[in-house]
Amino acid sequence: MSVNDVTTNEVANAALSCEGIVKSFQGVVAVNGASFSVPEGQITALIGPNGAGKTTVVNILSGSMKSDGGTEHIGSTDVSNWESYQIARMGLMRTFQLSRELGGLTVLENLLVAPKTQSGESLFNIFFRPGKTKREEHANTQRALDVLQTYGLYALRDNRARELSGGQKKLLEISRAVMAEPKILLLDEPMAGVNPALIEKIGGYILDLKAKGVTILMVEHNLNVVEKICDHVIVLAEGRTLATGRLSELRENKEVVRAYLGEVIDASSAR
Amino acid sequence: MTQVFYYVFTLIFFLFDYFILAMGLNIQYGETGILNFAYIGFVAIGAYVTGAVSLPNSVGTGQHYILGLNMPFPFNLLIGGLTASAFAVLVALISLRRLRTDYLAMVLISLSLVLYDICNNFVPLFNGADGLYNVPAPLAGVLHLTTNSFIPVIALVTGVIAMFLWWVMSRITQSPLGRTFRAIRDDETVAAALGKNVFRKQLTSMLIGSFYAGIGGGLIIQFGGSFNPSAWLPGETFVVFAVIIVGGVGNNVGLLMGSLLVETLLVHLPAFLPAIPGHPGLIEYIDAMLIGVLLMVMLWFRPQGVVPERVRKSTVIDKLLLNSNGASAVGESLHDEEATSVSQ
Repeated sequence: MSVNDVTTNEVANAALSCEGIVKSFQGVVAVNGASFSVPEGQITALIGPNGAGKTTVVNILSGSMKSDGGTEHIGSTDVSNWESYQIARMGLMRTFQLSRELGGLTVLENLLVAPKTQSGESLFNIFFRPGKTKREEHANTQRALDVLQTYGLYALRDNRARELSGGQKKLLEISRAVMAEPKILLLDEPMAGVNPALIEKIGGYILDLKAKGVTILMVEHNLNVVEKICDHVIVLAEGRTLATGRLSELRENKEVVRAYLGEVIDASSAR
Repeated sequence: MTQVFYYVFTLIFFLFDYFILAMGLNIQYGETGILNFAYIGFVAIGAYVTGAVSLPNSVGTGQHYILGLNMPFPFNLLIGGLTASAFAVLVALISLRRLRTDYLAMVLISLSLVLYDICNNFVPLFNGADGLYNVPAPLAGVLHLTTNSFIPVIALVTGVIAMFLWWVMSRITQSPLGRTFRAIRDDETVAAALGKNVFRKQLTSMLIGSFYAGIGGGLIIQFGGSFNPSAWLPGETFVVFAVIIVGGVGNNVGLLMGSLLVETLLVHLPAFLPAIPGHPGLIEYIDAMLIGVLLMVMLWFRPQGVVPERVRKSTVIDKLLLNSNGASAVGESLHDEEATSVSQ
């Protein structure tokens, strides 16, 4: 149960794993040797008190930020310190804690940006293979409209993304990542600041993605949600992996309780 | 009366030429978000190289310059555009890899000053402060044109080139590539997280924009027959910025409007006014001030420009895709009304 014993057995069916990730910002250590693996096809929660380094870990795993040390594997490929776009092309997509919509683009265009290989992104194809570009664009548009339908954003397809509400932007983040057909999806607080009905909805979407075989790692503070949808939990504290396991097991772990769960257990016993 | 006729064609020339320049800056700044404060440097490279390849060998001309290939139109222009593009690769490698936004802008404006000093002081390159002159007029030999009758011809030629480049630019901005450019402009971290190689796309955008800058510059030296450092003080970059901001960043029709309002009406029309007695050059200063004021007024009251960027509606995207077979992705199996709005 304790920290650094990521066994080879676990790594074998891990979709994503990291070992000894270190990152500091001008002397402040944000991540201090975090190691864990994310099992394939499951939903894993990344929890921990504020300042535990969860978002920094997500940023490093997705390549948006460079680590100071440590290794990262997607499947068996070493992707340590790869560029963000290279990691994305390996099938790892992420969302952002504060929604980052492409504001000047419409909702539909936000989704259309996402497919990884588009022949229409090359100057040569635009002018010399317009037929192929058009067919691809047509297929992508169809699929994007279907995704928007699924996520309840269809009516907003022609609005500029910056005009959406907070909850709608959360949905746009997820649907844009889905449009890219990820194998692994990192969700950074997908339910922060949204109303209970929408939390329910987003939880359903995440379970649907799992059913389609997507591996999910989500940063989440709401333990009710974690309990309901997550198979596996990783606890970060002070930039280190404190424990991993099922939430029910972790509730018995004194260290974890002290660092994070204490109040919540009280609250849930009152429930 | 004939004088007025030539004035009008001079204005038409500048209208189209600055439309070309505006399209080039717009793909870099308006579409991709690269704050290229060195833009006028690319225009100058296009102009110098176009001039230097059209002139004969420099020995015995009284000027010093490289190349001197007697190259005819339009090949000289093409070489000018391509050289500006090649220079863009160099600039991008120096500056775009690591720098962003304000810092990038500072480095670019410095690069433009360095380039200016080199061209101004290193005489063997492009004749130093005197610049290039006696550049042969395009098609003049073929069509037997005089100095004056040449003006409508080059205005027309520039118009044709501008229309062609407009068509090319529309194809690019409406393509997935253009959409990826705009994604990078809006948030390059997100674009990278979606698997876009941001540096390569920015480089592509720089290449395209600089080619337009080079062509625009090449036409300027062909129009005037001469080009020297006083024509491209680094501040000239901001005239092109004024064109695209006033006209409308991200909209090609807006750029044509901007070129008409700023370059044609503000910069060149007053040049034909009689000088204010006792104050030579005062009109130009008033001009420069007016551009500054116009820029501020626009940014304050109408930052989207006279003709704002279009919202690319799904029906429009669809029409572009399917004009051949008439089927429609939108509304095929989906109903507008059943889609939900999310509470909150």
